[in-house]
Amino acid sequence: MADMKNNRIKHNIVCTQPDIENLLELTPEDFASATEEQKESFIQDRESISYWKDAWRRLKSNRVSMVALGVIIFLILFAFVGPSVMPYGYDQFNKGAENLYPWHYSLEDGEKLAEAQGSAEMRLELAFEEAAKEKGSDLTSIEKAKIKAQVNTSGLDEGKLRKELGIHKKLFGYSKSELLRKADGEKIFPHIFGTDKYGRDILVRTMIGTRVSMLVGLFAALLVLIIGAIYGSISGYAGGKVDAVMMRIVELIYSIPEMLVVLLLATALNQPLKDYMNSGVGGLRNFVGVLGPNLISMFVAFALLYWVTMARIIRGQILQLKEQEFVTAAKALGAKNSRIIKRHLLPNCIGQIVVTTCLQIPSAIFLESFLSYLGVGVSAPLTSLGSMASDALGGVQTYSYRLVIPAIILSVLILSFNLFGDGLRDALDPRLKK
Amino acid sequence: MAKYTIKRLLMAIITLLIVASITFALMNSIPGSPWLSEKTPSQATIDALNEKYGLDQPGIVQLGKYLGNLVQGDMGVSLKMQKNRPVTDIIREMFPLSAKIGFFAILWAIIVGIPLGCLAAYHRGKWVDSVLRVICTIGISMPSFVVASLLLSTFAGKNEALRVFPTIFDASLGFRTYVLPCFALGFYPMCYVARQTRSSMLDALGQDYIKTARAKGLKSGPIIFKHALRNALIPVITYLGPQIAFVFCGGFVVETVFSIPGLGRYFIQSIINRDYPLIMGTTIFLAAFIILMNFLVDVLYKVVDPRIQLEKGDN
Repeated sequence: MADMKNNRIKHNIVCTQPDIENLLELTPEDFASATEEQKESFIQDRESISYWKDAWRRLKSNRVSMVALGVIIFLILFAFVGPSVMPYGYDQFNKGAENLYPWHYSLEDGEKLAEAQGSAEMRLELAFEEAAKEKGSDLTSIEKAKIKAQVNTSGLDEGKLRKELGIHKKLFGYSKSELLRKADGEKIFPHIFGTDKYGRDILVRTMIGTRVSMLVGLFAALLVLIIGAIYGSISGYAGGKVDAVMMRIVELIYSIPEMLVVLLLATALNQPLKDYMNSGVGGLRNFVGVLGPNLISMFVAFALLYWVTMARIIRGQILQLKEQEFVTAAKALGAKNSRIIKRHLLPNCIGQIVVTTCLQIPSAIFLESFLSYLGVGVSAPLTSLGSMASDALGGVQTYSYRLVIPAIILSVLILSFNLFGDGLRDALDPRLKK
Repeated sequence: MAKYTIKRLLMAIITLLIVASITFALMNSIPGSPWLSEKTPSQATIDALNEKYGLDQPGIVQLGKYLGNLVQGDMGVSLKMQKNRPVTDIIREMFPLSAKIGFFAILWAIIVGIPLGCLAAYHRGKWVDSVLRVICTIGISMPSFVVASLLLSTFAGKNEALRVFPTIFDASLGFRTYVLPCFALGFYPMCYVARQTRSSMLDALGQDYIKTARAKGLKSGPIIFKHALRNALIPVITYLGPQIAFVFCGGFVVETVFSIPGLGRYFIQSIINRDYPLIMGTTIFLAAFIILMNFLVDVLYKVVDPRIQLEKGDN
């Protein structure tokens, strides 16, 4: 036992500071395999913390971006699970349920309201007739307006009437027939956000719209990532003339007015993709069919013009990294250029790549809604948040909720991606944090 | 400076050439033709029309002819929207309005955004800063059409008292009619400028020369506006170049929402109508305008910070 202890002490000394004298006094015991006890003393007390764990820890302590992450997860569920839970389809016309508000009146209240409105209209008509008799000719519209101002027309204004009768709005939209069926004991799912002029449920349409926006955002960001990372790393790694030429091209694309070209590109790509989908050949046909030619043309347009930012950032990173020793070591070991880029350089700028990709998503969503709003984006019956807002513009005075709902969801979506991206940047690259 | 200008000019010409070629290729690949309307004309008529406007020639020849004419300032005539009217004429009529709205939008973005950014930086960590940060973050998350249509639903809604500003553009109403479009268009850049100013102001306020200025006994006003702001403005200006482009293109949406007869709305209609010369004309014009703005911003750089050498401006 004492011998062991002695041995261990000796061992420890050797470990901490190599003492020449001790080294010279090597005994065969020094080469004996370590005991369990000794092995244990080498195990670190703390678990090693990897890059991602560390980043996650930092991210978790950032309350704003955690809330943003929560909102994003909620919206993902809303967009991808929601429509399959709902009993209505996004392109289903619910007959008799057109133009519903996101609120309703109970059956009795509705009747009262209709009656009162009817009587007010009657009063107005009577007043018109009397005036016409007095005058002996038809009334001009100005005279009519004057009479309207005199007669008690509070019945025509729903808001005032509601106050007079003491009727309250009830949450969610039901059509009259649905209310009747509900009174009979049938279970009816309400139109929570109301319906549009064809009787389509706005909640389901919002879900589908959010899904489209998210898909465009994710796919466009992915394409940008692929093109930008390859281009940027080749340009940065090659250096010299190749780099100069490649960066000139990037500068050129930078100065092209992207909105104009994206608009044209999205319109131009649409038809060939449709033809391709209907042609019946080609392996990607199913893929095109699932997403729809409109969507694909949109994110191809996006990817073709927006990869330049990513390429610039990655090139900058690679320029710094390629001078470091590990690259020299890899070269000395005979690694090919492609291997150095793939295995050694790109993994080292993963933080930047993730952050830039994440911040591409909101700008892609931005662009998609912009295009859809202008009528170049997804086409009916598929919808997106942008095209819903643009459809609602016509009846904005009466049905403002149709505009407000998609607008708010779109803003929340972009906002949470922005906030999450900011948080991710702080977490992945703490040096940037000020 | 002269060498730099020439270099930029060359780049601009190449960019314009590329834009023209891309536009030409794209627009010809959009199916449909300008001659199709409710009643489809006979094939003979279409052929005759194609021949008259040179659409029967191969693409390369068309493009070459177009570029040749473009150098002489001729952008061809409109095929459909305003038949046979020169495109340059149409642009000359439409652009001033778009430019006016874009100008006021950028103006208010700068005039409000920069002081707000300074304010937030000066009161860093206080409630003013937090409130401004929330507003600006929300602001950069709202596409301009959302801002525009929310404004529209507020000011055109049922509430009579709120109908202060007209929601449909009417030039005869004077400045009141410009308020909403300019606000909507400038809101995003305003928030962005404020954010950018705040972060670069924070940078600048931490520098040693600010400490020196304080030690000298200068008041906060001169320190912020004379010493810190001048240095903090450089990143803001960098951003303004592309932003002017954004405002002129974001103008598309705002012009659609408020029915403003500007160039942006016309551009979209010309795409829908396949009015080829008009698409080419507006694209090239806007591209040239954007390139010019970027150049001006680069020159402005040098005014703000004389240390910057444009000739070595390549990063």
